[in-house]
Amino acid sequence: MNRKKGDKGFESPRPYKLTHQVVCINNINFQRKSVVGYVELTIFPTVANLNRIKLNSKQCRIYRVRVNDLEAAFIYNDPTLEVCHHESKQRNLNYFSNAYAAAVSAVDPDAGNGELCIKVPSELWKHVDELKVLKVHINFSLDQPKGGLHFVVPNMEGSMAERGAHVFSCGYQNSTRFWFPCVDSYSELCTWKLEYTVDAAMVAVSNGDLVETVYTHDMRKKTFHYMLAIPTAASNISLAIGPFEILVDPYMHEVTHFCLPQLLPLLKHTTSYLHEVFEFYEEILTCRYPYSCFKTVFIDEAYVEVAAYASMSIFSTNLLHSAMIIDETPLTRRCLAQALAQQFFGCFISRMSWSDEWVLKGISGYIYGLWMKKTFGVNEYRHWIKQELDQIVAYELKTGGVLLHPIFGGGKEKDNPASHLHFSIKHPHTLSWEYYTMFQCKAHLVMRLIENRISMEFMLQVFNKLLSLASTASSQKFQSHMWSQMLVSTSGFLKSISNVSGKDIQPLIKQWVDQSGVVKFYGSFAFNRKRNVLELEIKQDYTSPGTQKYVGPLKVTVQELDGSFNHTLQIEENSLKHDIPCHSKSRRNKKKKIPLMNGEEVDMDLSAMDADSPLLWIRIDPDMSVLRKVEFEQSDFMWQYQLRYERDVVAQEEAILALEKFPTPASRLALTDILEQEQCFYRVRMLACFCLAKIANSMVSTWTGPPAMKSLFTRMFCCKTCPNIVKTNNFMNFQSYFLQKTMPVAMALLRDVHNLCPKEVLMFILDLIKYNDNRKNKFSDNYYRAELIDALANSVTPAVSVNNEVRTLDNLNPDVRLILEEITRFLNMEKLLPSYRHTITVSCLKAIRVLQKNGHVPSDPALFKSYAEYGHFVDVRIAALEAVVDYTKVDRSYEELQWLLTMVQNDPVPYIRHKILDMLTKNPPFTKNMESPLCNEALVDQLWKLMNSGTSHDWRLRCGAVDLYFTLFGLSRPSCLPLPELGLVLNLKEKKAVLNPTIIPESVANNQEPVNTTNNHGQPVVFQNTFSNSQEEEEIDMDTVHDSQAFIYHHLNMLERPSTPGKEQSSGEVTMHPVSAAPLSVFSKESNSSKHSDHHHHHHHEHKKKKKKHKHKHKHKHKHDSKEKEKEPFAFSNSPASARSIRSPSLSD
Amino acid sequence: MSRSGSKHTTTPADNYYLARRRTLQVVVSSLLTEAGFESAEKAAVETLTEMLQSYISEIGRSAKSYCEHTARTQPTLSDIVVTLVEMGFNVETLPAYAKRSQRMVITAPPVTNQPVTPKALTAGQNKPHPSHIPGYFPEFPDPHTYIKTPTYREPVSDYQVLREKAASQRRDVERALTRFMAKTGETQSLFKDDVSTFPLIAARPFTVPYLTALLPSELEMQQMEETDSSEQDDQTDTENLPLHISTDDSGPEKENASVLQQNTSLSGSRNGEENMIDNPYLRPVKKPKIRRKK
Repeated sequence: MNRKKGDKGFESPRPYKLTHQVVCINNINFQRKSVVGYVELTIFPTVANLNRIKLNSKQCRIYRVRVNDLEAAFIYNDPTLEVCHHESKQRNLNYFSNAYAAAVSAVDPDAGNGELCIKVPSELWKHVDELKVLKVHINFSLDQPKGGLHFVVPNMEGSMAERGAHVFSCGYQNSTRFWFPCVDSYSELCTWKLEYTVDAAMVAVSNGDLVETVYTHDMRKKTFHYMLAIPTAASNISLAIGPFEILVDPYMHEVTHFCLPQLLPLLKHTTSYLHEVFEFYEEILTCRYPYSCFKTVFIDEAYVEVAAYASMSIFSTNLLHSAMIIDETPLTRRCLAQALAQQFFGCFISRMSWSDEWVLKGISGYIYGLWMKKTFGVNEYRHWIKQELDQIVAYELKTGGVLLHPIFGGGKEKDNPASHLHFSIKHPHTLSWEYYTMFQCKAHLVMRLIENRISMEFMLQVFNKLLSLASTASSQKFQSHMWSQMLVSTSGFLKSISNVSGKDIQPLIKQWVDQSGVVKFYGSFAFNRKRNVLELEIKQDYTSPGTQKYVGPLKVTVQELDGSFNHTLQIEENSLKHDIPCHSKSRRNKKKKIPLMNGEEVDMDLSAMDADSPLLWIRIDPDMSVLRKVEFEQSDFMWQYQLRYERDVVAQEEAILALEKFPTPASRLALTDILEQEQCFYRVRMLACFCLAKIANSMVSTWTGPPAMKSLFTRMFCCKTCPNIVKTNNFMNFQSYFLQKTMPVAMALLRDVHNLCPKEVLMFILDLIKYNDNRKNKFSDNYYRAELIDALANSVTPAVSVNNEVRTLDNLNPDVRLILEEITRFLNMEKLLPSYRHTITVSCLKAIRVLQKNGHVPSDPALFKSYAEYGHFVDVRIAALEAVVDYTKVDRSYEELQWLLTMVQNDPVPYIRHKILDMLTKNPPFTKNMESPLCNEALVDQLWKLMNSGTSHDWRLRCGAVDLYFTLFGLSRPSCLPLPELGLVLNLKEKKAVLNPTIIPESVANNQEPVNTTNNHGQPVVFQNTFSNSQEEEEIDMDTVHDSQAFIYHHLNMLERPSTPGKEQSSGEVTMHPVSAAPLSVFSKESNSSKHSDHHHHHHHEHKKKKKKHKHKHKHKHKHDSKEKEKEPFAFSNSPASARSIRSPSLSD
Repeated sequence: MSRSGSKHTTTPADNYYLARRRTLQVVVSSLLTEAGFESAEKAAVETLTEMLQSYISEIGRSAKSYCEHTARTQPTLSDIVVTLVEMGFNVETLPAYAKRSQRMVITAPPVTNQPVTPKALTAGQNKPHPSHIPGYFPEFPDPHTYIKTPTYREPVSDYQVLREKAASQRRDVERALTRFMAKTGETQSLFKDDVSTFPLIAARPFTVPYLTALLPSELEMQQMEETDSSEQDDQTDTENLPLHISTDDSGPEKENASVLQQNTSLSGSRNGEENMIDNPYLRPVKKPKIRRKK
């Protein structure tokens, strides 16, 4: 919180500087999943009276701490283990989120905090006062880690190496503290020595250069010695140990690839491309790859597909593929390119603070985009930008905004930048995973906007400057103060930009970086024939959540008969209308070629257009230089012209989406023409397929000829001599391969007048399956077959059910019987000849769920549950779990929900656990405004427990649980919980009474004037509530949302009940403790030495207390004794090192 | 003799051999009787038979050599005589011995008919040579080996039928196979009341699920080889092999030096000029330093 915007450079939040760290792992036991080792940190005090050293450590059992060989006392306190300590029946997400943010703050290394607090032995105080070096030696072990380090141990015969057992580090953002004690911050850089002693059959891959490998004396084990001379943050340290196969890159010998046994041929093929990515980045950045070596490791049960660490990247083994696989190839290459981009920005160059994260994600995403443009072409690049833009716009409009550069001012949080969210954005570890994904997406889009402003050349110069500064700094071996040059900050980055380009981009930064929200334009136009002027009206919606007002230039491109013209409009506060003079007169019969934007001249059939107007089409912000959503109105023929003749793929895609609303023969013709045009970008053609299906359905009564796309498909992919038989597969032309895959899927969406899939289409698809012949193909057809199954699933329509009869075989629809026959055969064949990534099983499971949902097959989750078990391929599991989630929702099954939640807690694969929560959030069994039998107290308790303490080992999972809780119950107290008996709660410690937050009515609170807005660190905002039954001043939580009906209902209920505390459930639930961070604040208050503890925190407390004193008289007094007791032994009860810390002298003396 | 156990399966050549042998045995036995032996051990008879056989064989071999020496193919009586002389046998005594009174006459072994070699199948009449081909040239082969009989069918429907056939054949095989698997193993069903119409082979978790999911099946591998035989990966293979294992067994100082060198000379190695790859993961593992406790 001591961060200042300015050119001051980096100020460490710690009273010491870390210069070197040794990590030595002596023993790794795969059987017991345990790790034993020590770390040694070399630190230089920067203040004279340093007597405590705070470090980060989670999960580790710490045996012994020595400072300069003297035994040192330490305490271990991790408030994130259990966020809300007192078993209060609050169950209010607002409360939780605040408490969680406070807990994360309390151990945040960027604020100088940590879980582990080491007391410098008094013998060394003098030594410290001379600012001399300290060596902190910590012996630790790790037993069955639940996060941070993931063991994969297949359950079979043989030695660990034969089984392919491996272990690797993983996690979301800075998670290194999960596997060794360190300063787990991206801003504390130091050099490293890493040593791992592993089984002789295993390889340990880690950061930096492998200096040597030495056998142990019994020759059964090997020790890998790594040195990392480039200063690196602990958060960028990683490890992977396993019986890896080693492949030295044939093009770059300093690059080594590792994969699990038997996969070497795939590894060879997959990585054969990597050197080109290297060359590309080095060329555009005019900078060598900063590390002396690079390692890629492909492991199973990956936490994320791509994880970048200093000089190595950990990938999911599922990215490996053979030369026969088409679809995975570009995806894998993209992952490789992403990982490499993050080597430069993210690993080598680190960030100063969390609020600078956007710069790193932005730059790495941006250069990755440049690579995409070069590798896959401009069309693919623009398509990708459009896709990302649509995603971020949709997300921001849904949730209310993504803020790239949050600035947290001291104390005043009335303008809390993220008040619309149910989580704090102050820390990476409190963020919803989806938010973080969108954050990265927005970051690179904003980088692109900056590029638009200052040109790519300058942009690359800026990057080069950052990199060369960093590499100069990194080579300063013994000048650790220089190392902060390797950290990037928002201000430093902006300063570089202005130095290099001389341009002021401050307005742009203010708009997109310092502020959240996107722009929503509504455009319409009229042509004034008299003045020959286009009257364009552009409105904005800036009142809806997630929007912001845009003021500034906006490019509009108008295609007229005489050519394409760009106009830059100034969007201002009040001007909605813009007059744009037209260059050409309307004309009719003059046959003349029409020049396009790119200089091309084409013949057009102009008969469709308005005779009076020279306008062919209009585009607003064609270059996507604003983060916006545009809804533009123009006539159908203009969209059709735009689709046919505009060469920009984004414009074509926009036109296709717009044409959905114009089901006319002309639209049909335009779409069909695009579909047939081979020069057209394949993704546009794929999109046209789906639009054509929609149009055909809207035009069903007037549609003539065979079903849409059928004759087209026949012409393109079937035999000339027998049109009902598809040619034997030849996927050499990827464009037509993708089209061939997509067309049947789109065709299956066709419906006849009875809203059924036409028989002709179904038979056509069945024939495609029947005659599919891949024997002569160079490529695998597994994705194609999977999509044919998807097509079958798409053709399914709801069963006609006569008075809810039970689904049996006898009343099975004959068409469905055919479909089921195919699915059965495919699914069974997969057992004998499995396809790559089991794509066919995945599609079959999805199709079966569709059949169940449409009432053809009895709804039953048993099949999916068996496929969801541990031991199936991850894609299959996800597909099966998705079906179970869907079943849970549709059938409101409590049993399945429990089954899913059990899996969230117990599944060995972190990704699956995360994904279940994610899928439950996206497809929830019920939502907060819904009555559901599933919504009951036990479920609330269970989920509460899950996010409160059950997921402390995985940030991502905990945030996932928070998301789910939010989706199910909202921010306030879940409506299914019984009303607490007491409306008012007394807190003796804080000396105040509050309206029990469990019954807080937010909607009313929202209508009232705030009297006190000093809301900080988890304090709910205080409001005056005139509604309260005891006519007292009360504190009401306003951030929550609730409908007023519920509120009134609650109050009526309350009045009806006896007000005496007759039916109290337990003592703990009555007393409220609004400040979850209290234990921590007590700690920091009493430790007067730490200069960097957050002062606001207890300032605020004191402030609060004063305020409360005059309220004291209103108290109901009951049940406060138990509370006091609970507070005292606050920290030690959670500490794994508690046994030790009790013996050690107390820190607060 | 080892063959005697398997008489039933003997070939004609074996039979002749055995018959000859048996005859010789009879000869030896009668000679022994002539010489006044009442009985003889089998081994003795065998030895004598062997000797006799060798002797006769030698006469034959030698006689053949003589006849070939004089550029003939059939031995004459004189060849035999020369042979016998050469072998130190007094030919004069032979007629007297042959006509000795107490000689035993052995009946000739029954002659089995020469097995008929089946005639090659002949179809049709072989064509006679035309006049310009001399008669000593071999005859024309049977007409069926070179005469073609064109059959006529619609080429269009042919493709369709073939595809149709291939498709339904494959489908039948697949269905039969999966049904069999389903019948013999555990199954799952979509309908509770009916387990046989759409039997699904039960899902079985793998111990290492990614292997089956990622590695191409053998069928696919085969296909890949067929469709694309010009894979270039092989070239790079050999480069990667740790050829240089023999290089360093020097002390740790040298090792460190080489590491540093490697770090600084990365750009050089990138050009791929050196054939030897210096990658730390390919270096041999060092032996532990022995520390002596005092």
